[in-house]
Amino acid sequence: MKASEPAFAALVRRYQRTVYSIALRMLSDRHRAEDLAQEVFLQLYRSLDDIGSDAHLAFWLRKVTVNRAIDRIRQEARYDNEPLSEAAAVAEDVVDADPLLQRHLAELVAQLPPAARAVVVLRYQEDLDPVDIASTLDMPINTVKSHLKRSLTSLRARVVGAALVDDVQPSMSEPTR
Amino acid sequence: MSKDFEQQLRDALRPIDPEEGFEQRVMARIANEPTRSRRRITRWAASLALAASVGFAAILGAHQWREHREQQGLEARRQLLEALRVTGEKLDVAYQAVNREAPPADDESGA
Repeated sequence: MKASEPAFAALVRRYQRTVYSIALRMLSDRHRAEDLAQEVFLQLYRSLDDIGSDAHLAFWLRKVTVNRAIDRIRQEARYDNEPLSEAAAVAEDVVDADPLLQRHLAELVAQLPPAARAVVVLRYQEDLDPVDIASTLDMPINTVKSHLKRSLTSLRARVVGAALVDDVQPSMSEPTR
Repeated sequence: MSKDFEQQLRDALRPIDPEEGFEQRVMARIANEPTRSRRRITRWAASLALAASVGFAAILGAHQWREHREQQGLEARRQLLEALRVTGEKLDVAYQAVNREAPPADDESGA
């Protein structure tokens, strides 16, 4: 795949939401997310010759974004003492039927360990099924399912309390959105 | 909670747009990148310089090895000559001692 600069700008426009959102959910910081997203597109610009199709491009962008985010989190060793104020600020972008619950959920997702967070973000933000998540993260499918199950149980328990835990089972099928 | 929990999670994790001007900022960073051809030339020049350095180091190493072997040869020759000289001196001493102790030929005949 080759692109002139206007064509590449169109690619940026098309995928900026995906790349930035993954970076933001992983890093819980708008500035670091923007910086990471820019770096991903720079890397894409240098690697366009290696990308053969739109499907490959979307897969490549998600994979590179998640891997770079996890690398940053590990380098900075910040995932266990991330300031909640920033995570809360990021969560404030949520405005829907139950904004308090959704903001709280977004904050809790930001507190998951990096690998589990990546799985949850790819599943519920990007609507990928577990097979595609496993492929994107180079992770065994059973590990993906295990991360999903444990993360959902943990999130649900923290949000709705033990009384409602039995209501929800993680679905491994195609998302409905 | 009336809504399905997973749907709540999807709503909470809805994709978010970056701040206005993201595309322009990315393109500005790309404009500051060296061009592909320049990068290729730089890579090619770096490879050439590396190959030249390796070649030069190999020639220098071979030359130094040869000099080292020559020095070793000269030293071995010097040691051999010294050993021969010492051996010659010892032989002279032994020869003179033998000559001094040998009895005259007339006494042996008894005539």
